[in-house]
Amino acid sequence: MKKVIAREKLPELWKSLAAKGPLFLPIQEGPVVLFQPWSEGAEANLDAVNTAVSAKDVFLPREETYLQYRCSGNQLELIPVENAEPVIAFGVHPCDLKAVEMLDKVYLDQEPSDELYRQRREKTTVVGLSCREPDPFCFCNEFGINPADAPGADVMAHLKNGLVLLEARTDKGKALLDQAGDLLQDGSDEKFEAAEVKTADFGLNLEGLPENLKERFEDPVWDELYKSCLGCGVCTYVCPTCYCFDVEDFGHEGEGQRFRCWDSCMYGHFTDMAGGHNPRAGRKERVRQRFMHKLQYYPETFNEIACVGCGRCLRSCPVNLDIVQAIKALGGETVEQR
Amino acid sequence: MAERNVESVNKVREAVSQDLLGGRIDLLLGWEKGHYWWQSRPLFARSEADLEKLAWDSFCAVNLSRYLLEELKDHDKVGVLVKGCDARAFNRLLQDNMVRREQVILYGLPCPGMLDYNRLVEKAGGAPLEITEENGRVIIKVGSGEQEAQRDDLLLDKCKDCRYPDPAVYDQLLFSPQGEKEVTERFKTVEELEEMSAEERFGYWEKELSRCLRCYACRQACPFCSCRECFVEQENPRWQGRAYQPSENFMFHLVRAYHGTGRCIDCGECERSCPVDIPLQELNRKLIKDINELYGDYEAGLDPEQEPPLLTYRPDDPAAFSEK
Ligand code: SF4
Ligand code: SF4
Ligand code: SF4
Ligand code: SF4
Ligand code: SF4
Repeated sequence: MKKVIAREKLPELWKSLAAKGPLFLPIQEGPVVLFQPWSEGAEANLDAVNTAVSAKDVFLPREETYLQYRCSGNQLELIPVENAEPVIAFGVHPCDLKAVEMLDKVYLDQEPSDELYRQRREKTTVVGLSCREPDPFCFCNEFGINPADAPGADVMAHLKNGLVLLEARTDKGKALLDQAGDLLQDGSDEKFEAAEVKTADFGLNLEGLPENLKERFEDPVWDELYKSCLGCGVCTYVCPTCYCFDVEDFGHEGEGQRFRCWDSCMYGHFTDMAGGHNPRAGRKERVRQRFMHKLQYYPETFNEIACVGCGRCLRSCPVNLDIVQAIKALGGETVEQR
Repeated sequence: MAERNVESVNKVREAVSQDLLGGRIDLLLGWEKGHYWWQSRPLFARSEADLEKLAWDSFCAVNLSRYLLEELKDHDKVGVLVKGCDARAFNRLLQDNMVRREQVILYGLPCPGMLDYNRLVEKAGGAPLEITEENGRVIIKVGSGEQEAQRDDLLLDKCKDCRYPDPAVYDQLLFSPQGEKEVTERFKTVEELEEMSAEERFGYWEKELSRCLRCYACRQACPFCSCRECFVEQENPRWQGRAYQPSENFMFHLVRAYHGTGRCIDCGECERSCPVDIPLQELNRKLIKDINELYGDYEAGLDPEQEPPLLTYRPDDPAAFSEK
């Protein structure tokens, strides 16, 4: 099913889609663009290439309540929370959607699977958005990602000459376009090929890197690489493929909620253990964990490197210690480029 | 820019290489180029080969003084390249007894102000390919041609209202000083916020802070945040929870800002490090302004002998809290 809508009509589309449940869009929030629920008056920005924080916020929210509790006397009442209302994520770029597939492998494809994640994932309709012009930080090509297409999207969207072309690819996608009804026009005659997009070429050679790293836990590279790291966690918070969380309570006087929220291996307390021991005592161990996880542990289990080249750590690390620097330091570079 | 730049890098390299190769310092903290010409990242130089990578250009924003906290554990004597803000950061650490002066050699770099990549993009109307600088102007090359702009309009926020671009402390000054700068807009936003009603202001901060990820990068980058254990991580008592709730946002931001009262050196590293651009400097500068108004002009980090107002006691201290 193929439909089109004029760009200036989009606010009407947002309104109609948001009537049924949260509609996440890249929204201009002051100086930055973030994936957030749209509401009347919010300024959607489909021209931004990458949001400051990745779209994983929709699938694995920074904070997710899963239980409410109430104590009175010595009675404890536990109230489960229904979290997953139908959600639309509109404008997810190919890199971010590829990253969601990587989260799926962690949260769905292993036993036991993660129920919170499953509910949310199943009830989310994804509208992918092709990239017309990459950001200088984008390097998804290095991971074989085609910025013009997001396989796995329920609807694929392209921006073209003041029009938005929408192609439904799944039943969920068709239902979404149906929901929009008369706001959309027939687009069967429109060409849906997005132009080829070339992203930054760092000359990476990832072939064999995960196997190669297997024996390199004690490699002297780690003694140098970590030095500039501030341990600030920005890289993990903005990254679409980082998926660690912590569990905590928020409450007052015997009443409150239990939630999970993003956590980061770049923090000291991430591995604080009862009794006071911390197996990752310093920044070196933490930096090694982050890069080994992306480049060795994840690929060992799931057969692909846990980076999609979205470029967010290249953009946001305050001291420019990013995944490309790590890959190069570890020898994952084409030899001619050296 | 290219030629002048080579010249000045050489000058820096010459100054530090004698000391590093001669064994006067064990480590030099400097900058090197990253993947992009608009990024310069920290360099930890121990050899001549390391010094080959040294950079000193319009993108050396990262404050290097903070690395002393870690590096002085492993080295007897460390050399650091310091801009104006980095030197004040060093004084901050010194006053907080986190470093010892005799363990550090400071190479002072009077700073022309660092450029902001996002401003370059904005001015050029697209991804800039390269820039050349001459006489306070910047020529930005883009795919479709060239754009010219005033250098001052392309500065990082942290550099825009920087009053002291010259290092306040150094062992060796590598270039001629820029002189104290006249800044007119330093407290402009603070004044606007002061004009608001309490409700308006609360609403403003609630909205701004709503996008805070509470990653605490602002703390990690800050030269006054050198506590061995931050209140944020303290388990008992547990001051700070992790919920993304307005109350938790306010808790963190108020405590962080208050801990810097009279101690914040106005380097802007917190704001520069924030991945979602929270205007942290507005909070910091409100407190700087209050200190100035209550205790007389005080510029943290300028003079390590001058105690921060809130760390001293005078019988004639203004008792503004009880009066208002
Ligand atoms: S690598 Fe960069 S972004 Fe990540 S924790 Fe270290 S300093 Fe922060
Ligand atoms: S490691 Fe960096 S480039 Fe790779 S997916 Fe994460 S944020 Fe994006
Ligand atoms: S990394 Fe690739 S897919 Fe992601 S925004 Fe950039 S060009 Fe698009
Ligand atoms: S203000 Fe910015 S840097 Fe500080 S905790 Fe919030 S998101 Fe992180
Ligand atoms: S609070 Fe910000 S401006 Fe003040 S010293 Fe810390 S990093 Fe610098």
